[in-house]
Amino acid sequence: MVQIIFYRQKCIGCNACVEAAFSRWRISQKDGKCNLIDGREKKGIYIAMVNAAEIGPNKIAEQNCPVRCIKVQELSKKLI
Amino acid sequence: MKKQVELMAPAGSFESLRAAIQAGANSVYFGVDQLNMRVRSSNTFTINDIPEITAICKFNGIKSYIAVNTILYNHDITIMKCIVDASKKHGVDAVIASDPAVLKYAKTVGIPVHISTQANISNIQSVDFFSEYADVMVLARELSLKQVETIIHDIKRQNITGPSGNLVGVEIFIHGALCMAISGKCYLSLHSDFASANRGACIQNCRHKYLVTDKETGTEFEVDNEYIMSAKDLCTIDFLDQLIDSGVALLKIEGRGRSADYVYTVTRCYREAINACQNGTFNAGLVEGWKTRLATVYNRGFWDGYYLGRKMGEWSNDYGSKATRKKIYIGRGLRYFNKAAVGEFLMETQSLSTGNEILITGPSTGVIQTVVKEIRVNDTPQDTVKKGETFSIALSSAIHPSDRLYKLVDA
Repeated sequence: MVQIIFYRQKCIGCNACVEAAFSRWRISQKDGKCNLIDGREKKGIYIAMVNAAEIGPNKIAEQNCPVRCIKVQELSKKLI
Repeated sequence: MKKQVELMAPAGSFESLRAAIQAGANSVYFGVDQLNMRVRSSNTFTINDIPEITAICKFNGIKSYIAVNTILYNHDITIMKCIVDASKKHGVDAVIASDPAVLKYAKTVGIPVHISTQANISNIQSVDFFSEYADVMVLARELSLKQVETIIHDIKRQNITGPSGNLVGVEIFIHGALCMAISGKCYLSLHSDFASANRGACIQNCRHKYLVTDKETGTEFEVDNEYIMSAKDLCTIDFLDQLIDSGVALLKIEGRGRSADYVYTVTRCYREAINACQNGTFNAGLVEGWKTRLATVYNRGFWDGYYLGRKMGEWSNDYGSKATRKKIYIGRGLRYFNKAAVGEFLMETQSLSTGNEILITGPSTGVIQTVVKEIRVNDTPQDTVKKGETFSIALSSAIHPSDRLYKLVDA
């Protein structure tokens, strides 16, 4: 499994993550920041557990984020 | 008596907003959420803050302007419209914009527009073009004073009016950071970190040290001044009279990313300078005093920008600030006793003695700068207080529990 952590408050709505991983990211029509699809919120931080197949595009999203508000990490079986 | 000019100060936070008002600004400009040139700034306002900001400004009789001046992409249109709608609803005086999408939408909803310096207006034809949308235009920061004068003269001669029917007003930057590139037309940050300066996410590569490397041999050359791209800060206070004489209508101070005490000091100095220009007391002696005070807050060294056309550019030779004074955080505000005019503080670190200069900042307080005359602990006068102690000092204006207390010392 892959864990995507999104610090939404820092997001500046640049769309870079949407371009990299369209199936996981979408710009909100309400406030112009990005939404992490299927992300669960806790104290303003969004976390989504996704299939290992999604790591490639989301790693690019992490690298391309200008404000470094996306973290993508592969979880070992032990942790899961 | 010279023509009235409007002094516009930056408000990147509620502290700075209060500081600008206390220092005598006629107007402030701010940004919310995304789509402004300081989105990386940690204290950025949100769209929900607009009613409070405009209420504070109206109560204090100053104007407020909102910056929506980044490059816009398709996905930004919805949020741009939300911001412009909210600004119109809550009585923001104008939108500062450069993208035609914002100009068009602002015109549709009927909110005045200022053309941002991001549009790089450098000639009278551009002024004429934008006059369909805006009554005020910020000229490119790279123009000389002569060029500014000529544009203002031509606006009058050609009778170029904005949507209000009045002659187009010209606004210029008078103080603060300058780009190494033509304002905003820089891609270094995008190149290195995918962080576009034109979306307000600049990581300021130009402020770092660099070496020049020969790619064939790998030889590295040390450049005399390693900060080869870091422009000094603009400071125009010594020829402010000439700027006002040129006929500009608004004078803008850069610095939404700067602290409240910076905003206070800079706005205060320029307020005094403008007043001096208007009542004929502007002189070299006063200028020296203002320059000394301006140097006490964050700066990269000063130069007079491109206005006087003497030099192509001046580069800072240091990283960060050259301020002559620095502030040290020492504690926080607890409460204020109105009748006694006394503020109570908790000392969280370091120490404070009578005779020390202190700075108090807070979202409701703004900026208070004073010298400590007497310190009382449990109502007993003391010379010094240390970490952990609660103490009170006489203050003529109120402080609030969220306020931060600093000691000012020589840098």
